[in-house]
Amino acid sequence: MLKRIGLVCMMLILATVLVVVGCKKRSTSKDNENTDGGGAKPQYASKGDEGTITGKIIYDGAVPTPKKIDMSQDANCASAAGDKSADDLLVVDGKLANVFVYLKGGPTDKFSFPTPSDAVVLDQQGCRYHPRVLGIQTNQPFKVTNSDNTTHNIHPSPKTNLEWNQMQAQGAPPIEKKFARPETLIPVKCNQHPWMKANVGVLAHPYFAVSGKDGSYTIKNVPPGTYTLVFWHETKGEQTQSVTIAAKESKTQDMTFKGGATARATSMQIGPALVLP
Amino acid sequence: MTDQKGTALNARPNVGLHRLAILLCCMTLVLLVAGALVTSNEAGDSVPDWPVSFGRWLISSNNFVANVRYEYSHRFIAGVVGITTLVVAVWAYFSERRSWMKKLGLIAFAGVVAQAGIGGLRVLFPEHKALIAVPHALVAQSFFAVIVAIAVFTSRSWWAPHEVKTDTASLPLRRLVASSVGAVLIQLVLGAGFRHQAFGIIPHIVGAAVVTFLILIAAVVVLRRHRDDNYLGRPGKLSVGLLVVQLGLGVSAYLARLGAAGDPQPLEPMISLTVAHLVVGGLILATMVVLALRCYQVLGPAPQRAGDLAGTRGLHSSARGAAV
Repeated sequence: MLKRIGLVCMMLILATVLVVVGCKKRSTSKDNENTDGGGAKPQYASKGDEGTITGKIIYDGAVPTPKKIDMSQDANCASAAGDKSADDLLVVDGKLANVFVYLKGGPTDKFSFPTPSDAVVLDQQGCRYHPRVLGIQTNQPFKVTNSDNTTHNIHPSPKTNLEWNQMQAQGAPPIEKKFARPETLIPVKCNQHPWMKANVGVLAHPYFAVSGKDGSYTIKNVPPGTYTLVFWHETKGEQTQSVTIAAKESKTQDMTFKGGATARATSMQIGPALVLP
Repeated sequence: MTDQKGTALNARPNVGLHRLAILLCCMTLVLLVAGALVTSNEAGDSVPDWPVSFGRWLISSNNFVANVRYEYSHRFIAGVVGITTLVVAVWAYFSERRSWMKKLGLIAFAGVVAQAGIGGLRVLFPEHKALIAVPHALVAQSFFAVIVAIAVFTSRSWWAPHEVKTDTASLPLRRLVASSVGAVLIQLVLGAGFRHQAFGIIPHIVGAAVVTFLILIAAVVVLRRHRDDNYLGRPGKLSVGLLVVQLGLGVSAYLARLGAAGDPQPLEPMISLTVAHLVVGGLILATMVVLALRCYQVLGPAPQRAGDLAGTRGLHSSARGAAV
C-alpha cells in the first residue's frame, strides 16, 4: 500500500515537472517568434497627409472616495512623500485620467511601422509606479527605474509575451526589457508592495495615447483610413468607437465612462480567471 | 513472538520519536499558516530567486520588509521542517522495527524534498502560477497527513490493547472514513485552486457539500456504533466541531473576499479569515486521518469477509499495529 502511495506521489511530481518544463519551452519559443507580423507587411511611408485625433474622456457618475493604501509594511514607503490614496480611478473635474486610447484596424493592419529607439520609462517613486498606464511599441526599449530607498520587484504578467519577475534594489541600474508581441494591456505588479500596479499597452504601431489628468488625449500622424478607436480603463473596462480620418483631418472623439460597478479583473476576483496552459 | 511480517509483538512505542513527530506536526501547521499568509498577501513572487533569496541564504533586515517577510518566513520555516523531517526519517529508520514505518519516514522526507522543489518551480516559473501552486498545496496537506500518521503510529494509544470489533457490511465505517479523508484532501485542493485562480468558487462549494455530508455521516455512524469508545468517539466528535467552525470560516472568508475586491491591496479581515479557513481545513484532514487509522486498527472486516480471514486477527493491538 505504502509503495503504491509513494509511486503515485512520485508520478504526480514527475508529471508536474514535465508539464511545467514543456510549458516553459513553449512560451519561450513563442516569445522568440517574429511576433508583430511586420515582416510580411510593407513599411508605412508617410505621404504628409496624416491627421490627428484628439478628445477628452468624461466620467459620468459619482466618484467613489479613493481607498487609503496601507504602506506601513515598509517604513521607506510609509515615510515617502506623496498621496497614499489608491489611484486606479483618477477623476479630476469630471475628467478621467489613465485611459489607454489606441487605434485598431485600417492601415495599422496593412503596414508595419518603425520601432522607436528611445526607451519608455516606468519609474518607481513613493512606492508607486509612474506612470500608472503607459503605451509602448513592440520591441521598443522598456526601462524600469527605482527612485525609492527600498527594494522593489517588477513583475509583468502578460498572456502572450514572456513573463518575467526581477528585483531592483535602491540605487540599482535601470532594468531594460522589450515586449515582442502586441498585447493590451499587460498588468505590472510589485509583489513586495502589493498596492503597486501599472499597465503597459504594447502595440505594433505608434497610434496610441494615455489620457492625462485633464482627461485629454492626442494621437498624432494618423494615416487616413477607417479605424476602431479603443478606450481602455483599468477599472471601467473597454469601449470602442468607429472613426474615419480623411487626409490632414483633425478629429475630436470624446468618450464617456459611466460610474458604478467596476469591470476590473483583479487578483482577488471570484469567478474563473485563468486558463491553464 | 512475532507477527506474520516478523515484527516483534512485545515492541514498545518509541516515546522520543512520537514526541518529535508531534512537534513536527505543530511545525507543519505553522508552515501551513506561513504558506497561507504568502498566498493571502499575494507575496508569492516577492522574492524572485530560489533557492536563495536575493542571492543569499540569510537576507538582511533591510530586505525583510513588506511581503518579503511572508515569503522569506515561509522558506525559513520550510527549511526547519525539512531538517526535522530528516531527523524523524533517520530516527524511524534506525529505531523502528516495523519495516513499513521505516518506509513511511522516508516517504515523509521525500515529500518535503519534493515540496521544496515544487515551491522552487512556483518561484522560477511565475507564468504557471496556478499550475504549480495547486500541486504545492496538495503535497503540503498530504505531507501533513503523513506526519500525523507517523505521530499516530508511534503513540501510546496505538500500542495500547484494543478489542477488535466487527465493521458492519451495510455501511462499512472504515471505507466511509477513508472516503472522507480522500474527499477532504480533494476539497483542500479545490480551495487552493480557487485561491490561486485556477477556477471559480463553484467546485469548492460542491466539494464543501460533499465533505460535510461524508463527515457528518461518518461521525453519526461512529457515535451510534461506538458511543462508549473514546478511541473512535473523540476524533469523530472533534471532526464535527471543526467542520462547523470551518463552514463558518468559509462563508466569512468568501464574503470578506467579495468585499475586498476593490481594495488596493490584500487587507484584514480577508487575510486572517482565509488563513484560518486553510488551517482548520488542515486540522480536519488530520482528525479524519487519525479516525481512519484507528478505524482500520480496531474494526475488523464485515462478517462475510471475516469468515474468509478467520484466524488472522487477534484481540491485541500490537499485531494490528504492526500489520497495518
